[in-house]
Amino acid sequence: MTSLAEATGHALDLLLAGDAGLWQIIAISFKVSGSAILLATPPALLTAFVLAYLRFPGRRLLISLFSTLLSVPAVVVGLTLYLLLSNQGPLGDWRLLFTQSAMVMGQVVLAFPILVAMGHAALQSVDKRAWETARTLGASLLRAFFMVLREARFGLLAALLAAYGRIIAEVGASMMLGGNILDYTRNIPTAIALETSKGEFAQGIALGAILLLLAFTLNGILQHVQGKGVPST
Amino acid sequence: MSRGGHFHVAGLRKRFGRRLLLDDVELHLHETSCTLLTGENGAGKSTLLRILAGLEKPDGGSFRLGRRLYPSWRKARRSLQKAVMYLHQQPYLFDGSVEYNLRLALGGQREGQEALIRTALQWIDMESFRETPARTLSGGERQRLALARAWLASPEIMLLDEPTANLDTESRGRTLELLRGLRNQGIVLVIASHDPHHFEELAECRIDLHNGRLTHLAPRGAGTVQSAKVIPIRQGYA
Ligand SMILES: Nc1ncnc2c1ncn2[C@@H]1O[C@H](COP(=O)(O)OP(=O)(O)O)[C@@H](O)[C@H]1O
Ligand SMILES: [Mg+2]
Repeated sequence: MTSLAEATGHALDLLLAGDAGLWQIIAISFKVSGSAILLATPPALLTAFVLAYLRFPGRRLLISLFSTLLSVPAVVVGLTLYLLLSNQGPLGDWRLLFTQSAMVMGQVVLAFPILVAMGHAALQSVDKRAWETARTLGASLLRAFFMVLREARFGLLAALLAAYGRIIAEVGASMMLGGNILDYTRNIPTAIALETSKGEFAQGIALGAILLLLAFTLNGILQHVQGKGVPST
Repeated sequence: MSRGGHFHVAGLRKRFGRRLLLDDVELHLHETSCTLLTGENGAGKSTLLRILAGLEKPDGGSFRLGRRLYPSWRKARRSLQKAVMYLHQQPYLFDGSVEYNLRLALGGQREGQEALIRTALQWIDMESFRETPARTLSGGERQRLALARAWLASPEIMLLDEPTANLDTESRGRTLELLRGLRNQGIVLVIASHDPHHFEELAECRIDLHNGRLTHLAPRGAGTVQSAKVIPIRQGYA
């Protein structure tokens, strides 16, 4: 086992040298999590909007359901989807287990409640007159929907960043659903877990640094974005 | 509703909890009319206007816009939202510039947008405010911007909820001037106010909402408006 200082030095070398294996892992992470966010966001925003603007029986129940789902551990999401997707499972015929698609599914499930809960809070804080004004100005339902989304854009961006931050660093579901296959389903968190368990710290540290950098960046944007926008009166 | 048509509502009912806010209300607006809607605070003026604009659901009522008859609010809703414009007591301005707010009223692509925007800004005397963030405007400027935005949406009927509340004398004067302009263009106006004397010169007809009933009152400033063709409000079947 190498010393920590040595490993860190080696990690920097790997990053700066543009180590192909390393950057492949990083690319897989961004691809999977990016797809998950793209897939999850439209239905999540629609759900958040419905929860914020329509009154129907069961609405409160749904809201508390989504805030409960926020705290479901990633491994439990992984396990549930694993059971569904495994050969004996009801969706076994889809043959998705240990593919990037399965990882995307897991991350969609993880991102969805965050997007709904935070999106709902953001849309809830938009004055109800915004919707009415849009409609009375002649906007179609779809256009009025986007006009209201725009009013909540900073809060919605915060939701997006929070959801992205969670799924890109998540290890449990990716490990179980992707299987940590090199050059295919090995992403940053599963690679860190594997390398560390083998005592190969350099790559783990390099990837950890990438995640940290990403976390700082997302947080920086979040700080910048929060409190933006002029409140309505 | 085609220009010059009628707007007719009958059997309008609305209750909040145990309180009957609108009790079998009937209302008829004729072309080029300006109607003042009075009633004490909480009488239901805002609720009535919001129902007429298709923004709030009543418990019953039928609607006629021009030649088209709608047996229920639900069926009338789309047409109401199209033809009838509701202006909130505190106008909602979208988070953007004055120009952005005006453009919203023009919808998607439409020819001559720029000319319309310029005309609107001239009309409210706010040409130098084009780039100003709308939410930094003063109360009077907000009200004028809301009126210009409403005008750009070219509704046939405008329902104004307390348009001069919280305005100082000068801003009130300018707002009244703009309302006169809208009326002269043939837009049917209904102005809700619990402070009716400001509008006596503008409105040729006054209705009063009290205990869920609409009563037609003779205008005190009668005779000041030439084109007053208003069919009086009739009481519901009592
Ligand atoms: N969504 C609502 N739910 C319950 N009560 C309401 C609602 N909207 C208005 N009200 C009540 O209806 C009454 C009439 O309100 P409103 O139409 O605003 O009166 P006005 O504009 O004449 O002052 C008020 O007592 C108000 O509290
Ligand atoms: Mg009111």
